[in-house]
Amino acid sequence: MIKIKKVDNRPLTLLERLYFTEVAAGMLVTLKHFFRNLFKPSNIVTVSYPEERIPLPGNARLRTRHRLKLRADGTPKCVACYMCQTACPAYCIDITAGEYSDGNPVEKYPVGFDIDLSRCVMCGMCVEACPEDAIAMDTGEIPGGALNRDDMFMTKRDLLRNLPGEPSLLGASNRLHNEWDRKGKKK
Amino acid sequence: MTPSVPDFMLAHMDLLVFLGVSFLKACVVFGAVMGFAALLTLAERKVSALMQDRIGPNRASVFGFALGGLFHPAADGIKLMLKEDFVPKWGDKVLFTLAPLFALFPVLLLFAALPFGNYIDIAGLRIDLQIADFNLGILFILAVSSLAIYGAFLSGWASRNNFALLGSLRAAAQMISYEVALGLTLVGVLMVYGSASLQDIARAQGELLFGWLPAWGIVCQPFAFLLFLAAAQAENKRTPFDVVEGESEIIGYFLEYSSMRFASFMFSEFVEMIVISMLAATLFFGGWQVPYLQQSGFVFPWDAEIPLNHYLVVLLQVGSITVKTVFFSWLLLVIRWTLPRFRFDQVMTLCWKGLLPLALLNILATGVAIWWLG
Repeated sequence: MIKIKKVDNRPLTLLERLYFTEVAAGMLVTLKHFFRNLFKPSNIVTVSYPEERIPLPGNARLRTRHRLKLRADGTPKCVACYMCQTACPAYCIDITAGEYSDGNPVEKYPVGFDIDLSRCVMCGMCVEACPEDAIAMDTGEIPGGALNRDDMFMTKRDLLRNLPGEPSLLGASNRLHNEWDRKGKKK
Repeated sequence: MTPSVPDFMLAHMDLLVFLGVSFLKACVVFGAVMGFAALLTLAERKVSALMQDRIGPNRASVFGFALGGLFHPAADGIKLMLKEDFVPKWGDKVLFTLAPLFALFPVLLLFAALPFGNYIDIAGLRIDLQIADFNLGILFILAVSSLAIYGAFLSGWASRNNFALLGSLRAAAQMISYEVALGLTLVGVLMVYGSASLQDIARAQGELLFGWLPAWGIVCQPFAFLLFLAAAQAENKRTPFDVVEGESEIIGYFLEYSSMRFASFMFSEFVEMIVISMLAATLFFGGWQVPYLQQSGFVFPWDAEIPLNHYLVVLLQVGSITVKTVFFSWLLLVIRWTLPRFRFDQVMTLCWKGLLPLALLNILATGVAIWWLG
């Protein structure tokens, strides 16, 4: 909770205009903080980020590192429709589409799915555009810096993963695939 | 017959010893000052961080040991050395190179006149713990520190940049104005101790008033100390009076400077902070004096004595000025991170309408007091 302090804007008294007492009062405030933090560092609000992490607030609105969701059998939910690549304002998504050869009614899957994080602006347009709920930015990992460009380049292998509590059952192709998986594949 | 080299050296042994000892003292003081100034750049960031509930720099590490950010001054130095050394195309290249030297050289020269101890006897040789004992120490300090204006002014002029020139005009105006106030605040101290030699002033502060109170400058000239601190902070161009550089909004005289040239401007500011701290300690807080410590040991006014070894006394004295210098450097940092910046007209008003009349009044009051007390 943010505390609100109302400032009383009255004209300065003579003592305040002499400034020396006000300097002392100001230094009292800063010195109080200085010594408190020197002897009791637990009051310092800094989080030493990579080593020390706190739960990120506001999960629904937070956009973090991308991932591609998986179906129950481990195949990607992505149907390589190019929606996200088209929607991306930073042109950082590069999809190579391929066709299932085993009669899967979903027909298409991504052979390659690359996201160049060094270009990504973390706008979340790809997540909004995805008709299959396949791409998500809910990993909670904040993409930091890297020492070379290759480290900022995520391929399909880096992207495909499920979080605990997955897989989700959203998306039309998901149902199609699961039905085919249950009946058609057994023949 | 020409005298041989060993004969010549024997004949001028005293001069050669003096030369060697002075060179040694200069090296030791130079090393100590540069090291402390480098640590001050870290201390400034650490102190400001603690005052603002932050941690401060702690990432530079050697073999995984950060030691609370102790390697940051070295990291900063390496970084600045590797930066591009930029010289403006239309600038005056000679003056552009000379300006950082003009900024750094005078403040380093000031340490020649500042005593850091009384004297030490080594094998019958009495060595004054001061690089050069000028009779006119205070005047030397004022004269040499006013040379630093050339650094500020030449840098703006040689950059051939309008904003840099405006910055250096502001700097020159402010430094010259506060030079006057600074000089006048020191006159009171001069009158009380009757000497302009800083070593004499430091020695005079070892005496006791009323038999128990050390005759430190803060006791004899408390008002002058406040004026001195304000004027010196302004002379140093640090934050309450930082209109020269104004790193958040306006542009200063070292606008066109990069790499180590910029670093020498920055560094001279930190070295000047040490000068001010040491000067404040020497003039107002007894310099190297420890209360009740004589050359033979502690002599307390309640008829108690603790005789001490000569070298222990010297160690205590040097430690005393070191502790005082560190304390005042810290105080200057705290002031710098507490107060907001004045406007330029406020800076000038404070000097000419505030500090200057008050300093003159202080001189008058001191004169009356000395005449009254005999």
